[in-house]
Amino acid sequence: MEAKQSLRIAMVGRPNTGKSTLFNQLTGMNQKVSNYPGVTMERTSGLTKLAPGQLAEIIDLPGIYSLHPSSADEAVVMDSLLNVHEEGEVDVVIGVADGTNLKTCLFVFSQVLDLGIPAVLVITMADDMAHRGLVLDHAALGESLGCEVLIVNARTGEGMEAIQPAILRAKASPHAPFFQPGGIHLQWLAALQEGDEYIYKTWLRSLSQPAHEAKIRESGRGPKRLRADEAIQRYRQVNRWLGSFLTSYPEQDRRFSTKVDRLLVHPLWGSVVLFGLLFVIFQALFYGSEGPMVAIDEMMTSLSQSINAKLPGGFFTHMITHGLMPGITGVLMFVPQIAMLFGFIALLEESGYMSRVVFMMDRFMRPFGLSGKSVVPMISGTACAIPAIMSTRNMEDGRERWLAIAVTPFITCSARLPVYALIIGLVIPDMALMGINLRGLVLFGLYFLGFAAALAAAALLNRWKRSQVKVKVPDFLLEMPEYRWPQPRNVGMMIWRQTSSFVKEAGKIIVAISVILWFAASFGPDHAADFTQDRVSVPIEESYIGIAGQFIEPVMRPLGYDWKISVAILSSFVAREVFVGTMATLYSVGDEGIESIHATLASQINPETGEAFFSLPMGISLLLFYAFAMQCMSTLVVVARESRSWTLALTQFVLMSLFAYVVAWAAFVALS
Amino acid sequence: MNLSNLRIGQKAIVLEPEEGVSVKLFEMGCLPGEEIELLFVAPFRDPMCFRVQGTQISMRRSLAKRIPITRPHGS
Repeated sequence: MEAKQSLRIAMVGRPNTGKSTLFNQLTGMNQKVSNYPGVTMERTSGLTKLAPGQLAEIIDLPGIYSLHPSSADEAVVMDSLLNVHEEGEVDVVIGVADGTNLKTCLFVFSQVLDLGIPAVLVITMADDMAHRGLVLDHAALGESLGCEVLIVNARTGEGMEAIQPAILRAKASPHAPFFQPGGIHLQWLAALQEGDEYIYKTWLRSLSQPAHEAKIRESGRGPKRLRADEAIQRYRQVNRWLGSFLTSYPEQDRRFSTKVDRLLVHPLWGSVVLFGLLFVIFQALFYGSEGPMVAIDEMMTSLSQSINAKLPGGFFTHMITHGLMPGITGVLMFVPQIAMLFGFIALLEESGYMSRVVFMMDRFMRPFGLSGKSVVPMISGTACAIPAIMSTRNMEDGRERWLAIAVTPFITCSARLPVYALIIGLVIPDMALMGINLRGLVLFGLYFLGFAAALAAAALLNRWKRSQVKVKVPDFLLEMPEYRWPQPRNVGMMIWRQTSSFVKEAGKIIVAISVILWFAASFGPDHAADFTQDRVSVPIEESYIGIAGQFIEPVMRPLGYDWKISVAILSSFVAREVFVGTMATLYSVGDEGIESIHATLASQINPETGEAFFSLPMGISLLLFYAFAMQCMSTLVVVARESRSWTLALTQFVLMSLFAYVVAWAAFVALS
Repeated sequence: MNLSNLRIGQKAIVLEPEEGVSVKLFEMGCLPGEEIELLFVAPFRDPMCFRVQGTQISMRRSLAKRIPITRPHGS
């Protein structure tokens, strides 16, 4: 291999083969998340040291079952290996194979070898192989494949030191391609071949191009049939290899996993375990993140105070302490919940249980145009829509992913909780109905409403989407990996990558909006920015946002809201939880504790009726408005980022808010 | 006979599936001539989870119906 500045190495293998464990071992903390060119797919790459002074970039490609793409993430693998987007040729491939499931792993690896890219095969799970009584003659297999075959234990790091030297020695397999397109195919392939490239490269590229379909059909078999023929031929080859080089002692094969599954996907016990587990996760998310959130809030407040004390007064100090710092605090306060949620998701995925949840829920989700795979964002959405929307990335069906992103904001997220708590406390009497606390019942009803709205919207959008474009829904095929103990390192890396990506990407926008809001609340047309002034204090009704509130008041009047609530709603479009704080500011409550806000608001009198200002009709109207309206800038930003366009985000914003308006209005009219 | 007729624990040999069945099925290892076993099912027997060539694959009943098999054997 010629000496190069830096080698590009790609890791290719099936899902659940220990690929990410190996990747984390090879790169350590030297990882970064970026996007693949042209798609929203996340691309994780890192640096590894091959020899003293020689660094190489390793790209962790998504797990695939075949190089022929069936889904977007599989297309990414083909594009990277064929260098379609010209981001650079892959110099060496590390093929990753699960030692306990070599057949299907070798299928993919034989495709990689046929591309003529130098490769090394790393077989993981050495310990599980020993448990199963599997003995592989890896030197002989390497001889047949024409590349080095290493057996490692990625969890303990055993055998890992051999990988880097093997990468440096790697050469293209000297063997003839393992798959031979024959007869008529060879002729048209030769015509399509570019230069002296490997014939399998041409094959792979042309089978996925619609332009070549007519040409392919001349041979009497469609591209799908040809792919199937390839699979049959390759598996025949793989079975020959394993027949010669793999010895197994089946009496030691325990199949512990199947026994566990008989319980965990049991129609009754499986559901009990699932809902028990979800209950524990919710409890942990709500109560476990409370402490860190309060701590972050207090830490940032005292930091603001010391900044305020140290810096000279005036415009910039005020902007830092009242615009910038609250924005940063708002971002950081999400961090404990996002980190915990991704920790749980990583645990569920790493152990193999997530596939079982998807499996069990699939039938239930089908009438809504979704599959079991949408359960993941729906569960995550009760904490926060942002990580929930980010969790849709591994969905194969683009239509389902789009649906899941579109409806997830309906799920009752944790930011709605403080708003619900305040309003329920004001308008719902504290009494029991058949032994059940009425306030608790209303809160439960609002959660139910969130799920119902999301599923109903999915069903409607699905019908619309299908009338627009006729696409064949890909067959639901899901691998059920065997249960494994989660690797703490993998869980940690997942938390780190997702959380830091949220802070960097969504964080900067939230901070910017916060500064803009500060400006709108601190200044008004008659109160121009005065940079020399010690304090910036404008009566809220004369600030830009106050004027905006009075401007939209006529619109909000039919729902029973006055201009102050209109302002609170307006500012809630940045983030729902802002509602409580804005109400506190508007009604001039010095202390922001929820009790005192509650007391002040409860004492407000409606000048027209002489009764309590926060009446039942208005309260219900407000609750429904918050349940349905799309009032979260951060979610909109993430939706736009994940769907790679602002169309969906803006449509969500308009439609959800309009729907919220109509429902809130109907409830107000019906109740008063 | 097709895959949806298998009882839990029963095995059979996969035959040539209907036209239009996802190629991914083949690529995941579920090929004609291979032995397949029904491991477990979700509520309402849908989806169903099989083991073939050492891999556990779950699929919906509608897809299982399109994959013919030989007479089942085993428990």
